[in-house]
Parts: sequence; C-alpha cells; structure tokens
Amino acid sequence: MTAELGPPQSANGDAVRKKAVHFRKGVDGVNITDSQTAIVRLSSIAAARIILEEGLEPVIQMTCRDRNRIAIQSDLLGAAALGIRNVLCLTGDYTTFGNQPEARPVFDMDAIQLIAMSRQMADGYFLSGDPIKTPPDLLVGGAANPFAEPMEMRWIRLKKKIDAGAAFIQTQPVFDMDVFNKWMEGVRERGLHEQTAILAGVMPVKSARALEYMKEEVPGIRIAPEIMQRMADAADPMEEGIRIAVETIQTLRSCEGIRGIHLMPLLWESVTPRVLRESTLIKD
Amino acid sequence: MQSDLMTKHNKPIGPRERVVTKWMLIAEDIWKVPMFGCQRCGECILSHTALICCQRCPKRLRNGPCGGTRDGGYCEVYPEKRCVWFRIYKRSRLLRRMPFLYEIEKIHDWALEKTAAWLNVFRKRIEWPALWMKRKDCCEPER
Repeated sequence: MTAELGPPQSANGDAVRKKAVHFRKGVDGVNITDSQTAIVRLSSIAAARIILEEGLEPVIQMTCRDRNRIAIQSDLLGAAALGIRNVLCLTGDYTTFGNQPEARPVFDMDAIQLIAMSRQMADGYFLSGDPIKTPPDLLVGGAANPFAEPMEMRWIRLKKKIDAGAAFIQTQPVFDMDVFNKWMEGVRERGLHEQTAILAGVMPVKSARALEYMKEEVPGIRIAPEIMQRMADAADPMEEGIRIAVETIQTLRSCEGIRGIHLMPLLWESVTPRVLRESTLIKD
Repeated sequence: MQSDLMTKHNKPIGPRERVVTKWMLIAEDIWKVPMFGCQRCGECILSHTALICCQRCPKRLRNGPCGGTRDGGYCEVYPEKRCVWFRIYKRSRLLRRMPFLYEIEKIHDWALEKTAAWLNVFRKRIEWPALWMKRKDCCEPER
C-alpha cells in the first residue's frame, strides 16, 4: 500500500509536514512527485527528507525530463546519503504541459535506461563502469500505463522495465476496469506479475470538473463513461468520489497479480485515512 | 552489465575525423532524411525500428513510446501528429520485426550527435545494422 504526496509550489517545509500527517496509518510508502506535469514544486528529495524525519518511508520520483545522467547519478547518491531507500523512475511529462514551457527538455535517457542505471548504481557501479565506494542502497521501481494504445507496446515496455531491474511497478489511476482487466490478462499471460510487485493506482476525485481536467490535461489517463456520468449526476460529488475509489480498491484486491494499491489523492491528501478505513485496508 | 547500457567513449572524434564526418553526413542526409525522417543522431538504430527514425519523438525515446500516448496513437506533446513509436509498432508487426522492440537500447551517446552514422559503424563505435533477430522470450503469437 503506497500513497502519493504532491509537494507545494513554495519553499514551505511545513506544508509537507501537514500533508504527511494523513499518511501515518496503513501506508507503507509515500511517493513524492517530481515537478509533476512540469509545474515547478519543492524538490522530491528535499520533501522526502522532511517526511523521513516525520517517521514515514519516502519513495522519491525521478524524471528524465529535467536532468542529465550526471545530475541523476549525483541526486541518487545524495538521496541514499539522506536515508532514502526507494526510487520510482519515470520518463516524465513534457515541458509544454507545465507553467514553464520555455524550458529546455533534457531527456538524456528514458525510464527503462534510468531503471537499469539505478540498479547498476545500487550494485556498486557508476554508468561509466567505475566502482562506487559506498553504493546507494536503493529499491528501484517504474511506472506503467495500462490505458495507452497500443496495448501490446505497454506489455513490451513493462517487460523491458522488469528486465532492467524494476522491483515494483505503480500504474496510472484506474478509472476503467474493463481496459485494466484486459491489460492484467496480458500481464498474467506473460508471467510478468510474478517477476515484480504491481501496485494498481486509485485516485479519489473531488468533483466532475476535476475528472474533466484529468481527462483533458493530464496525459495517459482514461476514464470510463459510467464513472464520468456518476460524478456528473452525484448530489454530493465528494462522497461519490470516495465511494468510487473504495469500490475500485475492493475490485482490485480480488484481481490476481495485483500486490497492492497506490493511492493518489491529488490535492486531497486528507481523504486518505477515510478511504483506507472504508476499504478495510486498516482497522480502526 | 555496463557495456549493455552505454557505449564507453573510447575513440574520441579528432579534428581529421570531423572533416570526414562533415562530408559523409551530406552524403547520408540526402537519402536518410527524406526516406526515414533521419534526425542525425549519429547512433542509428533504424534496423531495430522498422526503418522509421525513432528520434523524431520529442522526448527522443529509444525504447518505445512514453505513457502519454493519446487515443488513436497520437503524440502526447503534438496531438495532431501520430506517435512515432505507434508507427514503428505497426510496421514492425507487418514486417515481423517485433523481436527488435524487446531489446533494451543503449543510452544515447550525445557526443555522436550530428556525426555520420556509417562512419561510427566503420570506427566500431556503434553496431552494424541488423538484418534479422530471433528471441525466445518474445511473446509473438504464432501465425
């Protein structure tokens, strides 16, 4: 069971501490996003250190969009030195999505190569082949998107990430169970669910407008029309959003091959304890 | 392990080679750019990508599409354009070159940008183009 925390767009460390409070119970690891959708936020590693001091287990996210291999290796060494033990390797959303589209997109490597490089560092070698005196002790993971086309390429990418050394995989939020089940079938067929721990993403939404925003602006999200309809018709959209999230979690728990849930309460971290309680993931 | 991920820069490009590369690049660009959409990365993997230049991707991905492909196979960044990897996938299926897509490609050597790829092949910096590939763990359904 992992959850996601979005750092603030300011240098305010206390904002991170306030959000961290909601993840105290029932959550094994907390992801800290890395300037998600290319909007400048407090850095992932800094926020991870803050929540580490609050007693939580951070999972830093590392994208290929903003850093070259030298900076990435340097950051991984720094993260390990600060006591961070988990890293999620992503390619990253393009710069034009955020509030600074004039920035130069780096993309020195992609997620698969980043996973392989991080594993190599954890095993004791820099990318250049030189040995590292104190290797960073990191658990490396990747992300998967079951909803992009063509589906066969998603299976191939997942396989490549596992071959590169991903120990865990977190998926995009599931709003379309049919497509997700189809993807899981293919994953099971190829035996990939046994080679890595797959955590399915769940996102509780506050309103139909939030869902619209996700559909239009955020790349890689697919929403089933029934869910859109439910949120639009709901008398109390927040309650409906929680209900949908809890139902999704219940369905995913019985899905073979899913080892856990990755909760993404974007801008709504306070709802976490309630969702966990209602889906009986924690006992009160 | 290390050699699988990156080509170590053991033969730096000297001034004489830079002159040769300039002329060879003209000879290469004249057919590669219109035929394949070549982006002059100097580390050509056209034989792995069904002869479509994967470097046309705005993120310069060499291992497959990113997670942001839109419905219908359109690019996350330029929604009016088809994702290059979507086209590579379709053509690889057609030409039965799927095993290449299972290969983890090396991290791009950016020092080879704007150099002649064939020169890099002869100087043993990059591999020769591959005609065919067979993989045991490739999940190609038998036709």
